[in-house]
Amino acid sequence: MSERYLIEYLSRDSERLPAMRNIYRPHLMTVEDIRDETPDVRTLRLAFQDQAVGESFAFVPGQFGEYSVFGAGECVFAIASSPADRGHVECSFKLMGKVTHALRDVEIGDTVGFRGPYGNGFPLESLRGQNLFFAGGGIGMAALRALIEYCLAHRQEFGHITLLNGARSVADLVYKEDMVRWAEQPDVQLVRTVDPGGETADWDGEVGFVPAIIEKLAPQPEGTVAITCGPPVMIKFALLTLERLGFPQERVITTLENKMKCGLGKCGRCNVGPVYVCKDGPVFTAAQLQALPRDF
Amino acid sequence: MSDDNWRPQIVAFVCQWCTYAGADLAGTSRIKYDPNVRIVKLPCSGRIGPLFLLKAFEQGADGVLVSGCHPGDCHYVSGNLLARRRFTVFRELLIFLGLEPERLQFSWVSAAEAVKWTEVVDAVTAQIRALGPRRQGWGAEARLQTSNSKAQSLEAQPGTRNLKPGTQKAVEEGIRRIARQLLQTGEAGVIVGYGNGTLKDVTTPLFVTEPEGVEQLVWNERCLNNLSVYLTREPVTRLGRVGIVAKGCDARALVALLQEHQIERDKVTIIGVQCAGMAENGRLAARCAVCDVHTPPLYDHLVEDRALDTGDWAEGDPRDREIAALEALTPAERWAYWQEQFARCIRCYACRAVCPLCYCETCIADKTQPQWVPPAFDARGNLSWNIVRAFHQAGRCIGCDECARVCPAHIRLDLINRKLALLIRDAYGYRAGYDATVAPPLTTFRPEDRAEFIR
Amino acid sequence: MMACRMLRPEKLEEWLAELLRSERRLIAPQRQGEDVVFQPVQTVDDITLDYINTRWPVKAWFFPPSEPVLRYRYQGSGVELEQPNMALEPRVIFGVRPCDAAGLAILDQVFNSDGEDEFYTRRRTMTTIVGLSCTHPAASCFCTSVGLSPTASAGSDLLLTPMGDAGYLVETLTARGEQLLWEYGHYFAAGECRSKEAVTEAAEARMSRQAALAQGIELSERLFEHPIWAEVARKCLGCGVCAYVCPTCHCFDIVDDSDAWGGVRCRNWDSCGFSLFTRHASGHNPRPQQDSRYRQRVLHKFSYFPQRWGRLMCVGCGRCVTNCPVNMDIYATAQAVLQVQGVKHET
Repeated sequence: MSERYLIEYLSRDSERLPAMRNIYRPHLMTVEDIRDETPDVRTLRLAFQDQAVGESFAFVPGQFGEYSVFGAGECVFAIASSPADRGHVECSFKLMGKVTHALRDVEIGDTVGFRGPYGNGFPLESLRGQNLFFAGGGIGMAALRALIEYCLAHRQEFGHITLLNGARSVADLVYKEDMVRWAEQPDVQLVRTVDPGGETADWDGEVGFVPAIIEKLAPQPEGTVAITCGPPVMIKFALLTLERLGFPQERVITTLENKMKCGLGKCGRCNVGPVYVCKDGPVFTAAQLQALPRDF
Repeated sequence: MSDDNWRPQIVAFVCQWCTYAGADLAGTSRIKYDPNVRIVKLPCSGRIGPLFLLKAFEQGADGVLVSGCHPGDCHYVSGNLLARRRFTVFRELLIFLGLEPERLQFSWVSAAEAVKWTEVVDAVTAQIRALGPRRQGWGAEARLQTSNSKAQSLEAQPGTRNLKPGTQKAVEEGIRRIARQLLQTGEAGVIVGYGNGTLKDVTTPLFVTEPEGVEQLVWNERCLNNLSVYLTREPVTRLGRVGIVAKGCDARALVALLQEHQIERDKVTIIGVQCAGMAENGRLAARCAVCDVHTPPLYDHLVEDRALDTGDWAEGDPRDREIAALEALTPAERWAYWQEQFARCIRCYACRAVCPLCYCETCIADKTQPQWVPPAFDARGNLSWNIVRAFHQAGRCIGCDECARVCPAHIRLDLINRKLALLIRDAYGYRAGYDATVAPPLTTFRPEDRAEFIR
Repeated sequence: MMACRMLRPEKLEEWLAELLRSERRLIAPQRQGEDVVFQPVQTVDDITLDYINTRWPVKAWFFPPSEPVLRYRYQGSGVELEQPNMALEPRVIFGVRPCDAAGLAILDQVFNSDGEDEFYTRRRTMTTIVGLSCTHPAASCFCTSVGLSPTASAGSDLLLTPMGDAGYLVETLTARGEQLLWEYGHYFAAGECRSKEAVTEAAEARMSRQAALAQGIELSERLFEHPIWAEVARKCLGCGVCAYVCPTCHCFDIVDDSDAWGGVRCRNWDSCGFSLFTRHASGHNPRPQQDSRYRQRVLHKFSYFPQRWGRLMCVGCGRCVTNCPVNMDIYATAQAVLQVQGVKHET
């Protein structure tokens, strides 16, 4: 806004006033597909109703959006789809509060809202040429999915890829179909694990908490970047484990999942020390987290 | 009042056993009656909570009708008798806030009384049709302009009495002596009392854990805080067994907390203090003018004020005159008055935070599933919040008026609290915070409870 | 340096009266019960100059406690969005104290940063702030401690400083202020430019709270984990008064309020003091108790915000101190924390 606004108003030149841009106005999206990942995790595939917006929409893996159900409110999830998937975004959410319950009730063809992309995204440049070690726990895999899809689409730009997907139980493992597809890619090692007690009789994956499996897999720190996302307690121990394995903090990447409302560094909710997770994050290296107050 | 095409929307909450069966019978009997009532069936009138009635108004109902089994006929023995008390209090609250009594009606209709049901519906519909659509505030977003309302001339009347401060220094010494002794013997791990604040004329809650610290405890006419709120606060209780400095009104809160099983009697030591009254704006606070607990109703140690002059406050509580003045207004004027008051609410929830009896882990105003209190801080949301707050305190509020003191918008919460306290005193002979052994008034009933408003 | 003019005392009322007749809406301090609040002026007689500061900061005229940022209607399975109708009118807010005006300058940084919030900025550009220097600070005031002064100009478009019988020294600080002065130039004498220094010094001398807090708090892990937070926050009851009376607090929530036909998406004030502020839907709460929440309040104002924006997020108006139900005092807390930090400071 310029000072001219007032002057123009006063000089009754009101038709020259620019239309108001509303940063809180979401794009309208049509629900195109609904996929149940687990008993309480669902993935929605959303298409932009405004095609022009859809075509120009681009994001960096790791960025997130504000998804909304009109009448229930907004909620933050990572954009879980591939950046190459133009005109669409996907989100995976776990049934928790008011908005996720409302999202659970939407049907194919319904309209929901989406604002974004917000946040910094993964540092793709510093990942190129590296071996990648992904460790996701539960719904935390959603934050990694876009990056995994990106890396697999640009397979030659990255070294060996390890995908560790953990969950409480076999039933709670997300992206079961995707995992089959991912594992077929060259030079990709897929490891699935469930918490002790979460295995079934025919379970052929690992049994153990994600940090324990990281320890067991013992990725080589040299030439590898570890990218981890999951519940706070898992991240805490995953970071400790990676440190013990000799990963320098600059080569351990995670995401913070603070509560957010505006996504634009204004509402103050995701403030941790001098950073706003929604603007400066959600992707941080362990080194960056180390410099922040323990407030997340 | 309105155009001929307008039809009132009336929501009826009915019990499934009696009234619903009666309404069903009216239908199968092909009795013609007004079609403007939407029926919501519930298991028992005991389940028809005031929140439901509030929600109906919030969502645009012009009137609400509640109906259940006749007294004595409840299929769950006493659901309707317990509900009757809640209905009485809730109805009076809404009327005090300016709702026309015709808009919220109650009846007992049995399964056989098909004709009565149709008569009730016809009569209620006719009355509400005569009133016309409901006024702004519920359902409307606009704030009411009340520039010339008679109600606006009602202004807070400070206590007119001067303070009789008593012998504050001696009392202060007494508090310190007992506090020191409790800490030295280990009977208390922390003393919750008053200390000097950071500004002149302000005291602050003080937590003393060492015997040497008791010298910081003070006593004067500015010890306004009701410290009993800290007995349900973990950061304080983790310091050890609590010894608490309590004025009469604070001790009434302790009684209520005991009654509601929020504290255990043998885990708190009460240093009761005889109190001559506290100051607000240099004068005796209004509530103190009618204080009958200069000596706390509950204590382990009593610090006496030798010069205590409880006075003869013959003029009574100045707020009672304000309440009477409000009640003399028309509903529309009262509505305008409270709309103007609630329009100032910014939902800081200071009223809730300072209330010793607002101890819920998660307040209903913060719950989103369902969203009982509308989240916008507009006329509708603010009205609902203030109604919910007031009603949840009905029969429990011990009248310390901390909520009114801390309200940054100076909303007259004290008038609402007082109105409900007087109603409950008159209707059920109950005053909160005197006797922990009796049942709170809205958890019990008497067969002869008033019911003159029920059709 | 800025141009300055004088406004004779008798001209002030005339000027305000003409402003009231203009197409600008005039908002000025008026009595409301025992308080003075900013309200649209009906007659000039309603305006009072007899106040130390207004009950509420001026912030709500730009960033209201609750406002719709979106309206929508259901259309079958679809949704139709509507822009909330935000009445935009040129306004003059007269009589804003320098602390509150400085608060606006702070909010400008937040709402103007990338992803400009036009709900705020449009109101800002349509409003001319006529500041009024403070000569008699209250006992709770501490603007000089946070690097401001009773005659500071930040955030004002015009600043009037009372110079005794000579009237008001008028400082023109922005294009908006210039515009107003240009329109109403005949009320303002172009006399010699006098220094307001003596007024400033006299007002500052009346200030009882004068600590050196302006350098902010330098956060260390030791300080973050220090028991002082639990100590000072023990009596905090977790209401939102401090944030809601603060000229600079700007945290908000976004919620939907709907019925069967549609609804509004509202932006509501929120406070880091509330337990729900950071609680995840899962129940995990990074700030599980009041000590961590109060720490956030203090550090956001004295450490985090300065690191990001280069200035404190406290203007020393003292409202949070006087309105706190339990006398939480951010001035005293900041001093105590600085003492822990080991920085020399004077009282």
